[in-house]
Amino acid sequence: MALLEVKNLTVEFGSEDKPFRAVDSVSYSVDRGEVLGIVGESGSGKSVSSLAVMGLIDFPGRVTADALTFDGQDLLNMPAKRRRQITGKDIAMIFQDPMSALNPCFTVEAQIMEALKVHEGGNKKQRRERTLDLLNQVGIPDPKSRMTAYPHQLSGGMSQRIVIAMAIACNPRLLIADEPTTALDVTIQAQIIDLLLKLQEDSDMGLLLITHDLALVSEAANRIQVMYAGQLFESGPADSIFAAPRHPYTQALLEALPERSEGHDRLRTIPGVVPGQYDRPAGCLLAPRCRYANDQCLKARPEVTDFNGRDVRCFYPLNDQGQPTGMATGETVL
Amino acid sequence: MSFLDTKPGVPLLESDDLVRHYEVNRGLGKPSAMVKALDGVSFTLESQKTLAVVGESGCGKSTLGRQLTLIEKPTSGALKLNGNEVGDLSDKDAKQFRRTVQMIFQNPYGSLNPRKKVGQILAEPVLLNMDNLGRKEREERVRATMAKVGLRPEFYQRYPHMFSGGQRQRIAIARALILEPKVIVADEPVSALDVSVQAQVLNLMMDLQEEMNVAYVFISHDLSVVRHIADDVMVMYLGRVAEKGPTEEIFAKPLHPYTRALLASAPKIDPTQRVKAEPLTGELPSPINPPSGCAFHKRCPFATEECAKVRPELRNFEGREVACHRVEEIA
Repeated sequence: MALLEVKNLTVEFGSEDKPFRAVDSVSYSVDRGEVLGIVGESGSGKSVSSLAVMGLIDFPGRVTADALTFDGQDLLNMPAKRRRQITGKDIAMIFQDPMSALNPCFTVEAQIMEALKVHEGGNKKQRRERTLDLLNQVGIPDPKSRMTAYPHQLSGGMSQRIVIAMAIACNPRLLIADEPTTALDVTIQAQIIDLLLKLQEDSDMGLLLITHDLALVSEAANRIQVMYAGQLFESGPADSIFAAPRHPYTQALLEALPERSEGHDRLRTIPGVVPGQYDRPAGCLLAPRCRYANDQCLKARPEVTDFNGRDVRCFYPLNDQGQPTGMATGETVL
Repeated sequence: MSFLDTKPGVPLLESDDLVRHYEVNRGLGKPSAMVKALDGVSFTLESQKTLAVVGESGCGKSTLGRQLTLIEKPTSGALKLNGNEVGDLSDKDAKQFRRTVQMIFQNPYGSLNPRKKVGQILAEPVLLNMDNLGRKEREERVRATMAKVGLRPEFYQRYPHMFSGGQRQRIAIARALILEPKVIVADEPVSALDVSVQAQVLNLMMDLQEEMNVAYVFISHDLSVVRHIADDVMVMYLGRVAEKGPTEEIFAKPLHPYTRALLASAPKIDPTQRVKAEPLTGELPSPINPPSGCAFHKRCPFATEECAKVRPELRNFEGREVACHRVEEIA
């Protein structure tokens, strides 16, 4: 059984009769010892879906799902008190901006010990020892003196290490990392990702890595999900999804990367922008930006289907040559 | 306006040993310290070329951008436009200089006045710098520039909050272009944008370069973007230049250990293409109290005793400039 099982998770905001779907029937699962990468541009719903798993969507947001289970326990229908015992202990989260994830008024030590106190108990001496242990584990130089430091005295990379220490304090079985390195420099990013993967391997955690950086997930993740405007567009194993994308969006996203345009004068772009709350198209959400879209794409919304062992939300998934399949020959491509 | 005239054989923009130090208070009774944000940077920029400035945060690349646009005056060193020193211009001449060297800022959410319409934002530089234009001509110029950067005419009456990040960056680019500058200093122009929009903005910048003959100083931390857009690359570390040379050569064979580490740290879509190197340990040291000798020696896998004592100066090596004692051995 998968560690985290999410089936048709939907998150809505706004009024009941005209809701805005930030996340639209997204399904995935994370196993023990597995790294699942979720990629998408801003507005794709990748952060909101992870907040929903953590139970951090407040009124007026509405979270519904056919199943949202952690280790067989239904997260949605359990008492709030029980859920709080799970989140923060068995499921932990790392947020994007380490500078604002830490409380500026308390020392590093106090903040990590707080998490330990809530979930593990023990006396102050034990908790302090464990904190020192954790700081060692996340590679903070001279941890003893950093214990009493305030967040403003730490650099970005160092703060992110503290946030990671806090997240792994109670030995979580699932770690959700929401853009853990976006605010950091490349050399520090490499250090932090190495650290996360090492921790994940050592304790056989499940890791949900959410990012907008395609190269980063392709290096770190076992499986990858591509999201767009709240929907899951494609999912599959990391080594094949970028080698042979099945969804036109994945293909276009890869082509827009400067690395893929070496020797070319100009980059290939995706025209337009991600649709917002008010301008979502009636058909496929990508249709106005898709180079292969036809009449059907503009009218009807495709469902997620299985195509060569890959989940793809497209009427005409791409073949190995990157050409759409199933389209009638001679059909006009808009 | 002699200093604005281009002269054949003279580089468009030249900086010679540019230095910018900031004084910081460290509390009552303690002597104030100097942050050496920029510590002797020299480069030349030819017209219609793109020079990329790369480095981690805190390496002085944005400070450099502020000196080049005369937003701040450098502590010492020379900045030359068409071979003429511009560091000590009168206010009137400085205004002329700024017309020629414009800037695009990093965050398009912070750089546009939310209380002004797009038309007003774009008209402002024209109003201040070209007072011979009438209202109608001004509007024509604004509309023509909007068309150039791909903004639809009806956007003229809209406010910045009605636009997405990519379109705001187009407005910022239009504002920089409207005075037809020779140089544009772009400080991380695409780092706040999504991949698909980033590609659109980069293409636009390259199109405009061809069309309007501008030169870019492109400040960025993203190596893949730099590789695509730049002719020359300057890698900075703690206020000094680590390596400088033509883009393709630097990416094909990075010489300075820091350049290598930067390239190795950047994740690649195809993991087999990854440059093999030891990942860097540690972080950028404090510019208030920089390490002795080579600023990089504490993180460098090749460091020797000499590196801890003597600061390496930039020197020519294989047609490039590298600041490293051991470049011969490493290469």
